[in-house]
Amino acid sequence: MSTGKKLFALTLVVLIALIAVGQFGHGGSGDPGGTKTSAYSTPTKGSVNDDLATGPKNVPVSQVGVNKLANETGHLRVSINFTWLLITGFLVLFMQVGFAFLVTGLTRAKNAGHMMMMNIAAFAVALLVYYVVGFAFQFGGVAPIANIGNTAPLNGIFGHGTAGVIGLHGFFLQSGNSYDVGVVAFFLFQVVFMETAGYIIIGAIAERVSFAGFLVAEVALAAVIYPVYGMWVWGGGWLAQLGNSIGWGHGAVDFAGSGVVHATGGWIALALAMILGPRIGKYRRDGSVRAFPGHNLGYAVIGTLILLFGWMGFNPGSTFGSTDLRISIVAVNTLLSACAGAVAAMAWTNAKWGKPDISMTCNGMLAGLVAITAPCAFVAPWAAVLIGIVAGFLVCYSVQFLDSRARVDDPCGAISVHGVCGVWGLLAVGLFADGTYPAAGWNGVAGPVKGLFYGDVGQLGAQMIDIVVGFIWAWGMAWIIFSLAKRFVKVRVSPEVELEGTDAGEFGQVCYPDFVQVTETDARLQDDDLALPYLTAEEQVGVAPAHVGQPVGAAPHDTG
Amino acid sequence: MRAIVAIIKPHKLDDVTEALRDAGVQGMTITEVRGHGRQRGHSEVYRGAEYSVEFIPKLRLDVVVDDMDAEKVTDAIMAAGRTGKIGDGKIWLGPLDTVIRIRTGERDDDAI
Repeated sequence: MSTGKKLFALTLVVLIALIAVGQFGHGGSGDPGGTKTSAYSTPTKGSVNDDLATGPKNVPVSQVGVNKLANETGHLRVSINFTWLLITGFLVLFMQVGFAFLVTGLTRAKNAGHMMMMNIAAFAVALLVYYVVGFAFQFGGVAPIANIGNTAPLNGIFGHGTAGVIGLHGFFLQSGNSYDVGVVAFFLFQVVFMETAGYIIIGAIAERVSFAGFLVAEVALAAVIYPVYGMWVWGGGWLAQLGNSIGWGHGAVDFAGSGVVHATGGWIALALAMILGPRIGKYRRDGSVRAFPGHNLGYAVIGTLILLFGWMGFNPGSTFGSTDLRISIVAVNTLLSACAGAVAAMAWTNAKWGKPDISMTCNGMLAGLVAITAPCAFVAPWAAVLIGIVAGFLVCYSVQFLDSRARVDDPCGAISVHGVCGVWGLLAVGLFADGTYPAAGWNGVAGPVKGLFYGDVGQLGAQMIDIVVGFIWAWGMAWIIFSLAKRFVKVRVSPEVELEGTDAGEFGQVCYPDFVQVTETDARLQDDDLALPYLTAEEQVGVAPAHVGQPVGAAPHDTG
Repeated sequence: MRAIVAIIKPHKLDDVTEALRDAGVQGMTITEVRGHGRQRGHSEVYRGAEYSVEFIPKLRLDVVVDDMDAEKVTDAIMAAGRTGKIGDGKIWLGPLDTVIRIRTGERDDDAI
């Protein structure tokens, strides 16, 4: 049987298993009909009754009527929050489009189809994987989410008290009675967040990763790397519990995922880019760095603006409900930081290179967005501007550093935007959180979240632990998994495919068949190319001039 | 008859075509091309890294004229296409044996 047929059979088996396994666990205490969710069991019950109890005494109140009213109010409250959660989730889903535009625009025309294919495949594959295991690992034991009716089935956790390490309910949206309207609404919102981390990695591995290698990375991300760290911070895990266990602030606080989503994606991208090596022609041993201009800066700008729009779901949606009126501040903080980041990058590149750089301005706006993602709910608008400005400068320095010093080839700046600025966002919570949010405690610690400048050093400490653990986990796991995968799967395309274009080489279809592509920035494989060590011996011989492999300076073979 | 080929800056196209029509030229063909002259292109900065643009986008203009019009037409292209800066392009011309109008089969002078 050919490899293609084997893969087809395997795919069929997996897809059928998705259906079959979902059959187990029917008939539990979940609420698939949505009639019980929120009704009388929500926190609104108490307040409605209290108000009525202390109201005018001369109004005849029937207990049945009060119960009915409380029921309706509770149901309405949860309905409003459901609507908010789902619509913001759809906005986050739309970010996939923005990212597809961004990364395709920032790469060369000969790879445009490959970039787009990775974006759509990432979404489909990662979503199914997250449905099978990822969601359960991350949120199987999350604390009750009152805004959407308490998500009661998600109460399975591995690890006692403040030491939770992994969730256990919600496999196939079925185990632990998780076939439930609240749980599934929450799944929609969370799966699109995971997809965000999933497409971040594309930007850094573009133009040389093989489609197969990419899928391996994507599955690892969706099944293990993202959900497990996500559980530690968002799913009631040990990082979130640092406030309860060792008394450091409120534990790791990451409102919408500067760390959980962006830094994780960025650090995975870093590990993959390091294992893959640079694109052919990017670096040479003589120290030269070559730019490969993106083929459509218009795409890059469109993509960035779509991402900005989608972020209006990403951050404000992370309240899990519009009954939390902080959403207005979250949204405006997000815009302020994004614009400050874009302006900072524009000014910096203009000062440094003589002209404002279009793609770096895009990166600056995204840097501001990534950085404000963790602190957006906890800081004042002025702090949001400051956080954005710092992020805008940070991304410029980081892109320069990675490109020219560290020589990690990151075509779209994903590592700098998401990794570096994600870390800055986590740090910013520990600095600027001003103690106005939330009214109730965060992560089970009483009182609002405060940063260093508002008197809580412990919070900064918790953020730092979060940053270090997040880096070690995401980078380390990606490194281990991808290094192992490299032995079984060809993770980097052959030099012929890379030079011809991954569209034609990997798919036999090109994105722009009607155009002659003048690829003057394409490089030949030369004998001091820093991509050489990442190619196999045969590949080096196949494409490189005959004298490749000899010491530099040796005479070429006389080919007669 | 003479074949005139002119390589011009793309943004000078309107000026040059207008000048050619004033000079009595009826037909012309343009092609988007890339090339370089003595400067061999120039370098640009993209995301902080320099890259060289060896072949610069130009327009190639093909015109077929009577021998006696050649001087007038090249002068018109020169006057209209000149900015005085590096990269204004070139004109070259050469003799032409045969010209045929496809629709009617007319030849040479009748086909111009």
